[in-house]
Amino acid sequence: MLRLIGIEFKRSLLMLRRYPMEMVGQLIVITMIFYGLFLGARYIAGPTAQFGERLDALVVGYVLWTFALFAIGDLSWGLMDEARTGTLEQVFLSPYGPSRVYLARNVAGLLVTLALNLGILLLIQLLTGVRLDFSPAVLAPLGAVLLGAYGLGFMLGALALLFKRIQAFLNLFQFVLMFLIMTPFEQFSGTARLAGELLPMTIGAGQLRTLMARGEAFDPVVFGLALASGLAYLIAGLWVFGSAVRAAKERGLLGGY
Amino acid sequence: MSVLVCENLQKTFHSHGRSTRAVQGVSLRVGPGEVLAFLGPNGAGKTTTIKMIAGLVRPDAGTVRVAGRDPHRDPWALRQLGAVLEGNRNVYWRLTPLENLEYFGVLRGLSAATARRRGRLLLERFNLTDKQNALTQQLSRGMQQKLAIAVSLVHEPSLLLLDEPTLGLDVEAAETVKRMVRELAAGGQAIVLTTHQLDVAQQLSHRVAIIREGRIIAEDRTDALLARFSGEQYEIEVVGEIDAARRERLRALGAEPLNGRVVYLGVPEGLWDVLDALRPLTILRVEKDRADLTEVFLKLIREEERA
Ligand SMILES: Nc1ncnc2c1ncn2[C@@H]1O[C@H](COP(=O)(O)OP(=O)(O)OP(=O)(O)O)[C@@H](O)[C@H]1O
Ligand SMILES: [Mg+2]
Repeated sequence: MLRLIGIEFKRSLLMLRRYPMEMVGQLIVITMIFYGLFLGARYIAGPTAQFGERLDALVVGYVLWTFALFAIGDLSWGLMDEARTGTLEQVFLSPYGPSRVYLARNVAGLLVTLALNLGILLLIQLLTGVRLDFSPAVLAPLGAVLLGAYGLGFMLGALALLFKRIQAFLNLFQFVLMFLIMTPFEQFSGTARLAGELLPMTIGAGQLRTLMARGEAFDPVVFGLALASGLAYLIAGLWVFGSAVRAAKERGLLGGY
Repeated sequence: MSVLVCENLQKTFHSHGRSTRAVQGVSLRVGPGEVLAFLGPNGAGKTTTIKMIAGLVRPDAGTVRVAGRDPHRDPWALRQLGAVLEGNRNVYWRLTPLENLEYFGVLRGLSAATARRRGRLLLERFNLTDKQNALTQQLSRGMQQKLAIAVSLVHEPSLLLLDEPTLGLDVEAAETVKRMVRELAAGGQAIVLTTHQLDVAQQLSHRVAIIREGRIIAEDRTDALLARFSGEQYEIEVVGEIDAARRERLRALGAEPLNGRVVYLGVPEGLWDVLDALRPLTILRVEKDRADLTEVFLKLIREEERA
């Protein structure tokens, strides 16, 4: 598995390097957004501003949003692209199986994006002299949210395998994501709260809000639940994806028939 | 000792309320060093069969064994299989040839170092070394196809599947691919290849299987199949008119003079008497009728249609 992650990491880097303009564009956008946040333009953070008014909260909210969006959509876009160009079947010829290959690809993609964002953040902190000081505890629920996001990503990947053209549906998913991340289920009560927290990513997002906007202490129990939810969704996502692979082989859908 | 054994493969597709019986009971065997040409008209079920062998399409019934293992049950069976699929890129255009070899090598279970080392050897062997750092996108169609074959070999599989490997290639590139197939087979590689270019199939294959509407309608050694469809007749072409007296004599020997040609249908030794009867006319050509694969193919397909 490490070997797979290694080669996928290399592939991601190479692909990035092949389109330097794309990469430069991406870097400029990320830099500008972070820079804007640092200068106090909190509207840039958009809806994620509700994670708190402080700069670190804005940054964390924004990072959560972009990473979750990436985690949810990247696999499906990749699958559709590969079905169209005709490399999909070669990937499926791997004895590791598509689930593991794409899991490795996700991990590699996450590492690359993480490296880009962290690099820019550090650079801006150096340039502006402003320091972010969020406690590392924030990273824990962030990770849990991403697990859930990747779980959803695999479920959407399953749809992409079976239905090919789901671009419109994927774009719609931005709103679903907004609903999942922005609704403060942790302040609801009763069944509404329970139902909300059974949805993917909600517990982790709630904990982030508690930590950052309301400045409460890190609750390991809540984190445990967030992690369990994230893992459950990831496992469910992998299972759904595996079933879609079997169905696609059954119906001969690989390779864009 | 077959590298590939498939028995009674069946596949029916259901889509848009229609069902297509794509493959109906196909069995194939290929041994080491053997090239099987898998031929058939459009829509006969070749690609479906190839994909069932490669574990990409699940058969409704029947079994596949690649080097004794079933790719549908045991994913590591794929370790022994390489495939270049029809109408596909098969490789990443955004990567260089060497990067493709390394990437797919690791995907097939090699370490990155081994994949790179084998990749370099393959590039050398396929004359792509000077392109190893160019983007695959920028290579010619023929080079891309060679690369796709190289990539399918990087993990040294015992079975190679080539679905229309010369499709869309110019004469020279097609020759190169043909030479590669020959060399691979000489080195012990088992190969299944589909093509609509029957001359290619005739030149490369040891055995031929012809599929029509999902069923194998003929399977034999290529030379045996050709011999079976070759007539017993000889054709002799001469310069100038054959006069009446000669015509008479030729007919008596069982030969039929046509304009400028004589067709002889008797025992082979009798050919000498026919040649004697033609003396001293200039002979342009003496030929035993020999079917080519195109004739055989068309005959078989038409026979089936009538039946
Ligand atoms: N996924 C699929 N869903 C529905 N029908 C399919 C599917 N794949 C193939 N078919 C049908 O199955 C039949 C066999 O197709 P196949 O691609 O195996 O033929 P082929 O021999 O490779 O033809 P060609 O020479 O044109 O490549 C065709 O009628 C085709 O339309
Ligand atoms: Mg085909």
